[in-house]
Amino acid sequence: MWLWFSKLGSPKWFYELSGKWLPWLIAVMSLLLIIGIVWALLFVPPDYQQGNTIRIMYIHVPFASISLAFFPLMAVAGTITLVWRMKLADMVAKTAAPLGAWFTALALISGSIWGSDIWGTWWIWDGRLTSMLLQFFLLIGVISLRSALEDTEAASKACAVLSIVGCINVFVIKFSVDWWNTLHQPAGSFSLADDAPNPPEVWVPLVVMILAIYCFFAVSLILATRNEILVRERRAQWVEDLACNS
Amino acid sequence: MSAVTTTTGAAFIATLRRDLLIAYKKKHDVVNPFMFFLIVATLFPIGISPEPERLGEIAAGVLWIAALLAAMLSMDSLYRSDFEDGSLEQLLLSPHPLYFMVLAKNIAHWLVSGLPVVLVSPLIAYMLNLPDEAYLAVFLTLLIGTPVLSLLGSIGVALTVGLGSRGLILAVITLPMSVPVLIAGTMAVQQTLNGAPLLGYLAILGALLLGSLALAPLASAAALRITVN
Repeated sequence: MWLWFSKLGSPKWFYELSGKWLPWLIAVMSLLLIIGIVWALLFVPPDYQQGNTIRIMYIHVPFASISLAFFPLMAVAGTITLVWRMKLADMVAKTAAPLGAWFTALALISGSIWGSDIWGTWWIWDGRLTSMLLQFFLLIGVISLRSALEDTEAASKACAVLSIVGCINVFVIKFSVDWWNTLHQPAGSFSLADDAPNPPEVWVPLVVMILAIYCFFAVSLILATRNEILVRERRAQWVEDLACNS
Repeated sequence: MSAVTTTTGAAFIATLRRDLLIAYKKKHDVVNPFMFFLIVATLFPIGISPEPERLGEIAAGVLWIAALLAAMLSMDSLYRSDFEDGSLEQLLLSPHPLYFMVLAKNIAHWLVSGLPVVLVSPLIAYMLNLPDEAYLAVFLTLLIGTPVLSLLGSIGVALTVGLGSRGLILAVITLPMSVPVLIAGTMAVQQTLNGAPLLGYLAILGALLLGSLALAPLASAAALRITVN
């Protein structure tokens, strides 16, 4: 068990293993993306209220749901960094922060475009929008702390602490913003989960798109982590061999 | 070599006294956050509108945001001079749990920079034409809420203590974290104006205070151990 654990933490092992998995993952991702996008954009029936605008949901919902995973991911990676000093966990945490900021921004932007049509405004201080925006700010905080600290070792631990604090904070913010929002806007709920349950021809492509974006997330994270491994292990023998052979 | 001669309680009191004494000698650390609070609160009537009705509506929010900014800016002095003269390293080397030492520093810092802001808030509230029935709510929420801001800010300062220029990073890290406190504080005042009982909101703020009292010094202590070598 411990042998396996320490092996898992070795960047070289991860680099080789992810190199083997990556083509398969990319193939699955491409397949799901093509199926999902074609299905969502061409074959899903227009919504009886929103018309064709409903198709934005197939981009927005996957990005919004995956962007909630970043702080827990970074907190877990941060804990592993602090407790077991595993270099790989910190590399994942480092690459996850900017990726999370991008995903959160995409969720906000796609939601804003969707909202501009169905709510008639690009921005409202809705609970979900506000907490998403604050999560974006917290991620920017982690990124700027990482770039400000020059010592890699200190930066990785400091960012680990901040990620753990931020993860707790994201939950507190989520609850407090929801509470604030329900008190501020008692009427005129913008909830989308209303009326009849959605028929399968609407939600099955959504599930396909969610899976596709999850794969996209995994692929981006692995690719970025591989780059980070090469940068940090550039003095290691195996990276030199890799560079000479390619 | 020598055995531990002081108890943790004595070390806690000693740290607290030392920080209060330093603040007493360097009065600008006391006066600056206080003046900043006054000046920021003054900018709102000038920037938005001097009409009493409009000011009354925004007064609670203005007071809270000014207190939040004052708390954040004053945080800089929490560890900086100790870091520069090396006494922070001595604190880290002490045999007592760092949690209590950090807590003592946070309490001293709040007494020096947070409490004056709370005490002067009714005056600013009057100048901003806050409705009479909200005075108690503003005062009590600030009294319970500003220590939370100090405790959270302490984490941000501890993470950035070695950096040369960190004003903006500190803001980016700590301001989003302070949002729940801001929400609880301003909602309490708004709801009091609507006739709702204040106690529930004070309980929520109290819960935030106890939670951050228990957890934030741990994070600050961990951060200090990382950033101070």
